[in-house]
Amino acid sequence: MDDNMIELRNVTKRYGPIVANANVNLSVRRGELMTLLGPSGCGKTTALRCITGQVTPDEGRVFIDGVDVTDVPTHKRELGMVFQNFALFPHMTVYENVEFPLMIRRVPQGQRREMVMDALRLIRMESYAQHYPRQLSGGQQQRVGLARALVYHPKVLLLDEPLSNLDAKLREEMRFEIRDLISRLGITALYVTHDQAEALALSDRVAVMNAGRIEQVGTPDEIYESPRSRFVADFIGLSNFIRGKVLAIERGMAIVAVNHIKLMVPAAEGTQVGQDILVFIRPNDVRLFPVDFAKAENTFEGVVHKLTYLGDTIDYRVIVAEGVQIRVQTDGKVRFNAGEAVKVCLPEARCRVILE
Amino acid sequence: MSHFTNKRQNLITFLLLSPGLAGFFGLFFYPMLVTLFRSLRPEGQTSGWTLGNYAAFLSDPDFRGIIWLTFFLAITSTFLSILLSVPLALLLRRKPVGHRLFRLTILVPITVPGLIGALGLLLFWGSRGWFNLLLLQVFRLKAPLTINYTLTGLVIFYVWHYFSYTAITTLSTLEGLDPAFEEAARVAGATPWQVLRYIVIPLIMPGILSGSVLTFMAAFGAFSIPLITGGNYRPLSVAIYKQIGIFIPARWSAASAMAMIMAALQVVFLIFYMRILRRPMA
Ligand SMILES: Nc1ncnc2c1ncn2[C@@H]1O[C@H](COP(=O)(O)OP(=O)(O)O)[C@@H](O)[C@H]1O
Ligand SMILES: [Mg+2]
Repeated sequence: MDDNMIELRNVTKRYGPIVANANVNLSVRRGELMTLLGPSGCGKTTALRCITGQVTPDEGRVFIDGVDVTDVPTHKRELGMVFQNFALFPHMTVYENVEFPLMIRRVPQGQRREMVMDALRLIRMESYAQHYPRQLSGGQQQRVGLARALVYHPKVLLLDEPLSNLDAKLREEMRFEIRDLISRLGITALYVTHDQAEALALSDRVAVMNAGRIEQVGTPDEIYESPRSRFVADFIGLSNFIRGKVLAIERGMAIVAVNHIKLMVPAAEGTQVGQDILVFIRPNDVRLFPVDFAKAENTFEGVVHKLTYLGDTIDYRVIVAEGVQIRVQTDGKVRFNAGEAVKVCLPEARCRVILE
Repeated sequence: MSHFTNKRQNLITFLLLSPGLAGFFGLFFYPMLVTLFRSLRPEGQTSGWTLGNYAAFLSDPDFRGIIWLTFFLAITSTFLSILLSVPLALLLRRKPVGHRLFRLTILVPITVPGLIGALGLLLFWGSRGWFNLLLLQVFRLKAPLTINYTLTGLVIFYVWHYFSYTAITTLSTLEGLDPAFEEAARVAGATPWQVLRYIVIPLIMPGILSGSVLTFMAAFGAFSIPLITGGNYRPLSVAIYKQIGIFIPARWSAASAMAMIMAALQVVFLIFYMRILRRPMA
């Protein structure tokens, strides 16, 4: 028995000329909370619908708990799902909504009542049992959606952008509530979102998706610190990409020529001498020093081109060589003015090679 | 100042609208008032008051039969229209090949004039019509079935002629239904049949009811279909027409009294129906 609770194996789904999922491979481990992160239209919902069975893949297989369910109808897959627009049944009360999966499964009345009330207690909505969905706020509706998905103890919980329809503050609160709930229950969850902050805050692992493909899978830390593609780097946060050529590779460090500057960067797997690559570094990893600062690793002279005050941080654009502009975000302790000469340090350990 | 202008503007608006309003209410209420007065006059007279016309109809030995038949036809055809419309709407929603043609076909019965429709139906269902040809030639029946001028036939014709209202309203309600509800139910473990029973039907019920009230009202007041195809079955509208079309001199007062009773029944029924519709969604 393998340790994957959900597995998509080489799944491809086309809608006419659109390839919604292109050879997707994705494994969610037992008890893990994985997010599927990507821009709108990249195929996240399609992947989820392959798991629920509402979409049959053109190619590839879907496994749940080690069983090939590709040809099993949706209602037999024993899944719990939470929807972006809540999808609570408008003609049923909160109680009846949560009871629905148990009613369908003909759970005996007494036990049913207990399970519904347990689920409602889990999300602190027991006093709203007799309300109709339209009488609840968005956040309350989504909590009921969670209760309905969890009430019958499904093997897997699927969430399709569950917080997208809520306002920013509530979204942040509920993020942690969902996180707590899922880890308390120990249930395997696949959480779809286009919000990178949500993905980083919530998940054990993140799968980043772009144009129907999975670009990278890793812990939030790996994804943020070591993006493997320009897309992932860009999507997860602010980035500098500096185009250069690999001159040499010594003891795992690539020496990269950018105009007349040379950068030392930890080589990525597969880096070759002579290759054109991108050096990636996050703006808040770049250091700025006064121009008389003693020389250190990857340190260059530059001129502050522009600066923007952002409150707790200051955003600088520094020109270090012809055509090479670096974005730097620092806290406001040391300040430079536009036009001032500075030293820019790109710490080796914070730089990454991205192969294109 | 502005108060003054407002008042003035209102007055001007009212004056400009008043011919239209007068015409509207005149056209609306005048025929009803005439009918009401007529029903209260002794037959053939233009003065004097009487309730005799009402008493005569209510005590007529045929009265019960007529009312019963009228309600029977209207209720049966409404019920059958619902039974027909729901599966049809479910099918068309999936946009199968040719669904556009089908959508137009649903509209045919209400666009064809009743008279033409009635004659066409008699031909189609007649002993030598296509229906019986099919039975005789394809299904090898020995003798043709008699449909025309039977009660069954009349119900079939009613359904053909009036189900469009129910079908169209049901279809548009169904197409306005967010598919997320059905998806949620499916993932929660419901079979397609359970989704239909517990989610789809309850959610489109208001649409079914408001469409079927149109079918009911139209069927209740049906005239050309039963007049031409009804044979010995004469619902209220045909019975009223008989007072004017058969008797010489025409019994205008009797006809008016019957028309008022018919209107009253319709209003009572409509109020009853609205009550059901407005009931908070179960
Ligand atoms: N039923 C469908 N018919 C046609 N195209 C579809 C259908 N569902 C999704 N698509 C297309 O597939 C692509 C991926 O859609 P989706 O999986 O919904 O993306 P996401 O959930 O990431 O926003 C989009 O280009 C979308 O337009
Ligand atoms: Mg989506």
